[in-house]
Amino acid sequence: MTTFLLILFGFLAGIVGGMGMGGGTVLVPLLSFLDIPQKTIQAINLVSFLPMCCVALVFHAKNKLVQTKHVLWLIAPAVVFAVVGALVADAADNKVLRLCFACFLIAVGVWQLFVAIKFIVNKKRGQVADSNPADTGVLVQDEPTDSEQ
Amino acid sequence: MNLTAKSKWILLGFSALAGFINGFLGGGGGVLIVALLLAVVKLHQKHAQATALLVVLPLTIVSAIVYLVKGNVDWIPTLWATLGVVVGGVVGALLLSKLKGNVAKIIFAAVLIAGGIKMFF
Repeated sequence: MTTFLLILFGFLAGIVGGMGMGGGTVLVPLLSFLDIPQKTIQAINLVSFLPMCCVALVFHAKNKLVQTKHVLWLIAPAVVFAVVGALVADAADNKVLRLCFACFLIAVGVWQLFVAIKFIVNKKRGQVADSNPADTGVLVQDEPTDSEQ
Repeated sequence: MNLTAKSKWILLGFSALAGFINGFLGGGGGVLIVALLLAVVKLHQKHAQATALLVVLPLTIVSAIVYLVKGNVDWIPTLWATLGVVVGGVVGALLLSKLKGNVAKIIFAAVLIAGGIKMFF
């Protein structure tokens, strides 16, 4: 039964991830329904992300959507602090980690909700917002145009 | 576009935070990276999402290595869940072209909040 649920939860999170909406943020709360320690859940999330990420990157690179300029400014500090974060997680209690993850999910959810609503309101007012690259809204997604397909 | 010194500091600081979150919580750094690529590097949404994967991949690899070395990886459930994620990922990618509008995103945000509240209990 647990095996079935693992595959099912992975599948559901994979659909969300494949649509580019952050599957990991769905996989972790789903797996928390099972009797698995939080650190193991987080490790599952990290490992299961890797194959999808590689495949997606190949497709995006072919479509020339990956911009390598300036990315080292992000990669270098992120990699160093990812190691620090993973070491802190190892030292942390599973319950504390779970609460931290819960707070993070709620914060991101509220933020994304706010951005999506703002986008809809702007659209209804007739302000064109979908091509504004300066908009910090993660959810404001350029809808695929026919010319690009 | 060239970056100002201030932009570089913002990138350094917030990507360090994104890296920490990704390692500490086993994911979630991508949300911040996409926001940085949009707001600071001024990429368009599609480019930001694709490029974020390039940034998140190395930090996920190093985080996963630390989890592995520290004995936090349990391979049996990891492999089953990964199988599901890969199959679901293909389905999701195929669905993407048919799914439009912000309604799906609002549902997604609601799912996140519900998931967060569930994890408190």
